[in-house]
Amino acid sequence: MLSPVIMPSTDVNTDDGSILSATGLTKVFVSGGKEFRAVDDVSLSVNAGDVLGIVGESGSGKSTVARLVMRLIEPTAGRIVFEGGDLTAKSGEELRRMRRHMQIVFQNPHSSLDPRHTIHSALAEPFLIQTKLRGIELERRIDALLDIVSLPKAFKYRFPHELSGGQKQRICIARAVALEPRLLVLDEPTSALDVSVQAQIITFLQELRQRLNLTYLFISHNLAVVRHICDHVIVMNQGKVLEQGTTESVFAHPQNDYTRQLIDSVPRLPRLAI
Amino acid sequence: MTALLSIENYHLDIPTFDGTLKVLDGINLSLAQGETLGIVGESGCGKTVLARSILGIGPQRARRTSGRMTFDSMPLDELNEAEWRRIRGVKISMIFQDPMTYLNPLLTVGRQLSDVLVAHARALGRPALSRQERRRRCNELLEQVQIRDPERVEASYPHQLSGGMRQRILIAMALAGEPKLLIADEPTTALDVTIQAQILDLLRDLVHRLGLTVVMISHDVGAIAAIAQRVAVMYAGVVVEQGATNDILTRPRHPYTQGLLAALPDIEGDHQSLEAIPGTIPNLIHPPSGCRFHPRCPRATAICTSEKPAMTSIGADHVVACHHALD
Repeated sequence: MLSPVIMPSTDVNTDDGSILSATGLTKVFVSGGKEFRAVDDVSLSVNAGDVLGIVGESGSGKSTVARLVMRLIEPTAGRIVFEGGDLTAKSGEELRRMRRHMQIVFQNPHSSLDPRHTIHSALAEPFLIQTKLRGIELERRIDALLDIVSLPKAFKYRFPHELSGGQKQRICIARAVALEPRLLVLDEPTSALDVSVQAQIITFLQELRQRLNLTYLFISHNLAVVRHICDHVIVMNQGKVLEQGTTESVFAHPQNDYTRQLIDSVPRLPRLAI
Repeated sequence: MTALLSIENYHLDIPTFDGTLKVLDGINLSLAQGETLGIVGESGCGKTVLARSILGIGPQRARRTSGRMTFDSMPLDELNEAEWRRIRGVKISMIFQDPMTYLNPLLTVGRQLSDVLVAHARALGRPALSRQERRRRCNELLEQVQIRDPERVEASYPHQLSGGMRQRILIAMALAGEPKLLIADEPTTALDVTIQAQILDLLRDLVHRLGLTVVMISHDVGAIAAIAQRVAVMYAGVVVEQGATNDILTRPRHPYTQGLLAALPDIEGDHQSLEAIPGTIPNLIHPPSGCRFHPRCPRATAICTSEKPAMTSIGADHVVACHHALD
């Protein structure tokens, strides 16, 4: 069901069909006079409507890539192009306007919501920052958002501690899609959740993508989840891209030794006899 | 065969400001020497409280309302502190989820291992080991957990070592008293998959080499499947199903077990759709009447709301607590 207040635009394709691309992305952190290359010459491209997964172990640089493409941190080198516009060259008002089209959901829903703000004010914030919507129209939008994430409208009046982890993550997703973004960066969105709740959130994310015509950049260390939800996948280790391709080909015929080791390390379950 | 550990009809309450949490509701488990039992369940199901109760380190205000635990024919619930000191860390030891939390950042690994040896000797009333004996024993323990350069590791501080290495050190400490029973509480949850695979290999190897009996607790069905011969599935303070690992995973009989397995994405599978279990885990101050899973259960009927299902045997070494067990 397409909600009446969310009208995603479909005319976002640039020439090559990619909504987001990064070339030569590098991030060097300096600590104690020592340089650490967290991300080293990473290039990627996400096609509109696709789910691109980035997998890797801790310290592989996958979350840094998420923060870089959102420009939450500044790249040391490299170029990020979002919907044909060079994101790295923008600043100030121009960057702020562009940002409403790309949103991020973080790993830990418990720390992503201000404990002193109601769910209502968490959901109202994007509108107050990015739009002139106020009053009744704003209320209508907030109700519609709760509707999209299948939570009762009365949740508006609650505080984050009154919600479960899965419900909080739904609120974070609702807030992220409030301004009808075209790209959603999901940084380990289910890692802090139990498996039965993880299944709820993943199923919900898959529906939402169809309904709102979204593109996902999905970052995870969980290979089974990535295999389940992503069309394309990038394998990272120590800041570098080791392998990329369609999910099917990377998982079925990994070319890189590290990728193979990563896939083989996941414990297998015997098949259900049903 | 007599059981090394047996838990009978164990009930545990924890009083809180909001009311009494009925954390464990009639747990029955038994474990033979040399066996590896996996306890699987989601957060809040009581698996960690149960594990800590075995070691007498449960929440301070927790009250056992009925039932008992017996280890090696000793009633664990009736031990005093002095008796506990001869068992805890010696006969029964435990490893935890986050190894960094359990290591002192200010002392070298060698010093911490050697402190454990001193404490065990004192608790057992044995003469203290000499410095050379302690050093030899430390090296031996580190080699046992497949650390190739024990000298370097002993001289290191915890922050200089990787997460996998730290977990190996905790395992070495746990083995220092030559325990009969090792309780592993989410030992691989904080680790990357490649390291997780190594630690699971190590645990399997120890079971094989030392004849260790292990209770492994995890929310990760995959990790449990890799190591346990038998599995107990917990939900909201109740063991809902128990049996041989392969039976439980291929032919789950309790609707919760089945729901849990259907919610797992399969690394080898296609884009099959995941089935989520509707609803959320219950509040244990006012747990659901009858079967604690009934509000979320697709098979629930009137009897499920009124009567707590008894543990029923449905096959060789396979029990389930459900009024409407799956075929």
